[in-house]
Amino acid sequence: MAQFMLLLYDDPSGWEKLSPEEMQKAIEKYTAWRKKAIDSNRLAGDVGKVIRAQGGKPRVTDGPYSETKEVLGGYYTIEAANYEEAVQKALTHPHAEYGNTIEIRQVYGT
Amino acid sequence: MSTAAEPGVILEHLFRHQAGRMVAHLTRLLGPAYLTVAEEAVQEAMLRALQTWPYQGVPENPAGWLFRVAHNSAIDAVRRNKIFGDKTDAMVVELSRAATVLPNDPGIEEKLRDDELRMIFMCCHPAIPHESSVALSLKTVGGFNVREIARAFLADDATIAQRLVRAKRLIREQGLTLDMPHGAELQQRLDAVSEVIYFMFNEGYAALEGESLIRQDLCQEALRLGLLIASSSIVTPSIHALVALMALQAARLSARTDDAGDIVLLESQDRARWNQRLIALGFHHFDRSMSGDHVSEYHVQAAIAATHARAQSGSVDWHTILELYDQLIAIKNSSVIALNRAVAVRKVYGAAQALAAIEPLDRSPDLRNYHLLLAVRGQFLLDLGRNNEAADCYHEALQCRCSEPERRFLQRKLAECGSHA
Repeated sequence: MAQFMLLLYDDPSGWEKLSPEEMQKAIEKYTAWRKKAIDSNRLAGDVGKVIRAQGGKPRVTDGPYSETKEVLGGYYTIEAANYEEAVQKALTHPHAEYGNTIEIRQVYGT
Repeated sequence: MSTAAEPGVILEHLFRHQAGRMVAHLTRLLGPAYLTVAEEAVQEAMLRALQTWPYQGVPENPAGWLFRVAHNSAIDAVRRNKIFGDKTDAMVVELSRAATVLPNDPGIEEKLRDDELRMIFMCCHPAIPHESSVALSLKTVGGFNVREIARAFLADDATIAQRLVRAKRLIREQGLTLDMPHGAELQQRLDAVSEVIYFMFNEGYAALEGESLIRQDLCQEALRLGLLIASSSIVTPSIHALVALMALQAARLSARTDDAGDIVLLESQDRARWNQRLIALGFHHFDRSMSGDHVSEYHVQAAIAATHARAQSGSVDWHTILELYDQLIAIKNSSVIALNRAVAVRKVYGAAQALAAIEPLDRSPDLRNYHLLLAVRGQFLLDLGRNNEAADCYHEALQCRCSEPERRFLQRKLAECGSHA
């Protein structure tokens, strides 16, 4: 099965507006999604790491897919039959609900 | 596929509750003048959690994780901003030491509760205006943010933000501390704290629509703060009475509306939907409120709530309730209390006497455009068969500001006036 990377971009100013209660709710939604992906054997390999740089200098992307104010928050590698299915899978992730961007890239040579 | 461990489970309201106690704890270490630094450190810890837990999973001890990261964040802020001048190193040592102890450890639990208690006592300092005290308590101890507080009080964000800024400025300017007051001052402060908690509870209890979740959270938070004081060494019988009153009232929260969101009056409520755990908690504190001679307004209100909670369907002891209302009016003569007393008068002596009892309330400025006064009068007139006059009351009540379920209730009543005419 082909592997796809879901790159999750945050708009940090959006997160800052959330209250503790809302932040917890967001984490719970993300965790539930991740658990579902693990349970259905669709999460491939490492479940992802946070790429955010420390020391107040977040890595800012300037690629064609996302606005420059967004920060790459983390990524998941998932398995899907094809690109269409990977997109469907990504759409179920709560990230977009919070007004953020998910970039989908197929991983070759694995 | 990944063999990652099962993600940890996050306790309900963990973030909100931890936010409150962490702010209180860090404020004690940093000093009240740096309340904002404490708040920012806690916010930073929660943001970090949001940015890492979804990918790496929830840590084993989520509260401990937040606690440690918030301390580290405070250390960074102290170093970066040099707010403590040549005492910076000492403060960093202090914060580092505090970061190594973790919540859930019984020793530290007590200390954290003490921090929260001190914090709410400072929030209710007489130098801070009442409205700001309420907002500040919810923000710092309750872990609510500006938007949630604004929603709960039907105010706009800017108004709440302004109240908070004002409160923090007063804390700095007046050099308020987290020291517990003593003697007569302690008693006064306890009264102020009770008032703030009671107000919080009432705001949550009063509305029946809209942001119902945030409203229920408000009731829960008020009850939690009451219990915090009730379990401390400074508890008084009045505090037990306040907790009893809140628990007994909160027990009925879910029975007050039906599945369609329509109002269910006390007499028609399904008692099976009353929360028995809260009723038991209420009676426990009600018993404990009996020690001492002082009878506060909370005592009497708790007694009224207890009389309702004790009653089997349809057999409410209205004589006792009326006596209690007389007692309450002797302590605090307010037109809202007089209006509620009239409802008990109707049950005991009938609608004619009840109608006479609310006559003087017409001239009360507090109750001008108060839909409940009109609704109550409408009911009394309806009882007496004066349907046209009752209809006028309900019409007028519908012109006042009221919630959507209340509007539907008044319309049902209005229809009743016509069908009996």
